[in-house]
Amino acid sequence: MAFQSKQSMTESPDRTDAAQGIEGVLLANRDRIVRFLEVRGAGDGAEDLFQDLWMRMTDRKTGPISDPLPYIMRAANNLMLDRYRSARQSELRDKAWGEASATQIPSTETSLISREQLTLVETAITATGERPARIFRRFRVDGQNQRDIASEMGVSLSTVEADLRKVYAALATIRRQFDAS
Amino acid sequence: MQADAANAEARAINWLIRQRDPLFDDWDGFADWLAEDPEHNAIYDAVANLDRDLDALPATSKPSVVIVPEAPRRPSRRAWFGGAMAAALVGAISLSSLGLLGNDSRIETLAGEHRTIALADGSKIEINGASVIEIDKDRPRFARLESGEAMFHVVHRDSDPFVVETGDARIVDLGTAFNVVRRDRQTSVAVSEGIVLYNHDRDKVRLVAGKGIEARDGDRQPPVVQDVDVASIGGWRSGLLVYNGTPLAVVAEDLKRTAGMQVSIAPEASDLSFRGALIIDKNRNRTIADLAALSGTTAQRQGDGWILTR
Repeated sequence: MAFQSKQSMTESPDRTDAAQGIEGVLLANRDRIVRFLEVRGAGDGAEDLFQDLWMRMTDRKTGPISDPLPYIMRAANNLMLDRYRSARQSELRDKAWGEASATQIPSTETSLISREQLTLVETAITATGERPARIFRRFRVDGQNQRDIASEMGVSLSTVEADLRKVYAALATIRRQFDAS
Repeated sequence: MQADAANAEARAINWLIRQRDPLFDDWDGFADWLAEDPEHNAIYDAVANLDRDLDALPATSKPSVVIVPEAPRRPSRRAWFGGAMAAALVGAISLSSLGLLGNDSRIETLAGEHRTIALADGSKIEINGASVIEIDKDRPRFARLESGEAMFHVVHRDSDPFVVETGDARIVDLGTAFNVVRRDRQTSVAVSEGIVLYNHDRDKVRLVAGKGIEARDGDRQPPVVQDVDVASIGGWRSGLLVYNGTPLAVVAEDLKRTAGMQVSIAPEASDLSFRGALIIDKNRNRTIADLAALSGTTAQRQGDGWILTR
């Protein structure tokens, strides 16, 4: 039984034709995606952003995607973060340079962090302690998953989780200190 | 920060950590959490924005080897995570161009001025403001910290140990990085890497990474070895000063040296100690406001500086 259903999955047509698959999944889950965009900050603009997302997803040449819906939701989440960063960057640019240079298109590819700020971030990471800092670097810089980090460091998965939370919280706190005016 | 907001931020961080797993699929659960409170999305955006900036973290973290003449590197709040365009890059300048390898062996920094000197053997000395250090071209493995603060990154040679003198103390490295503060008749040493020997002929104190001492001139007993937080050693270099129950007067002295700030402490506040992290901001009023808020004092302008009162 299990074997049969597995086989039928690999032969399913929307698995072999990625583009059509994505469009099909976008359509089939339209309400769910629009609702996500709504609560993710799009509000009334959610329908328009669904179109943006559609363009983004169908434009792109991708290989077969094993599980399209989470992939789409992740893309929707990134779309909202990109918009947030663009808005924030042009806001900061306006503050820094006045109206004159605001015509430049803000790029979300540009790193918003300067070298000196990065040094501070690294200091703050190190300041959380040797193990949390190491776990955080393995996770965030090397892209290692939590389970592998746990076995590599000889600690439990919950320790890894707790350390990651601790470092992120420390960075958020430091950043708030900067943002406060 | 309110308990609710702190809790929401912790939840946002949890989501973020989970979402970094490529197999994360609880997007509906995430949407439900966002829908609970309109604030949740803003909090998540702030955290996710910070996380995205971390893409710029280098694969291996090393201290940057740059020489910073004149103005110290100072983080600016405005530019923090958001205004890279406003941040100037700090260029590397060779030692010879500063004329430090000539006969000029006495280096004096102004309050707030940070300077890094690279020695011929690959060792490096980072000098905080309001400090005086002497090097000797005929004795390349020697330095004297007359006053102030410096972080030493020493290339170890078994046959030729690097010696740092300060006050009447001698500090001998065994392959290491360490920070030395020379205050009025007082010496502090903190080791971040390797091992150093402090007054090996007299006190026979051996300091490994994560250990430090505070010694007063004329002490009869060898100084007591204490634990120090490795991460905060030499924090002045990046503009982040970390304290754990430090007298306010010492914090004020550090601010003067590191950032050229004049901070005096009213007598009734002199017994207060400070715990927390201070960021040296371009807008010094913010740094003072942070210090006041975290130490339970009130800051007021006084002349060119500030006074902290209780």
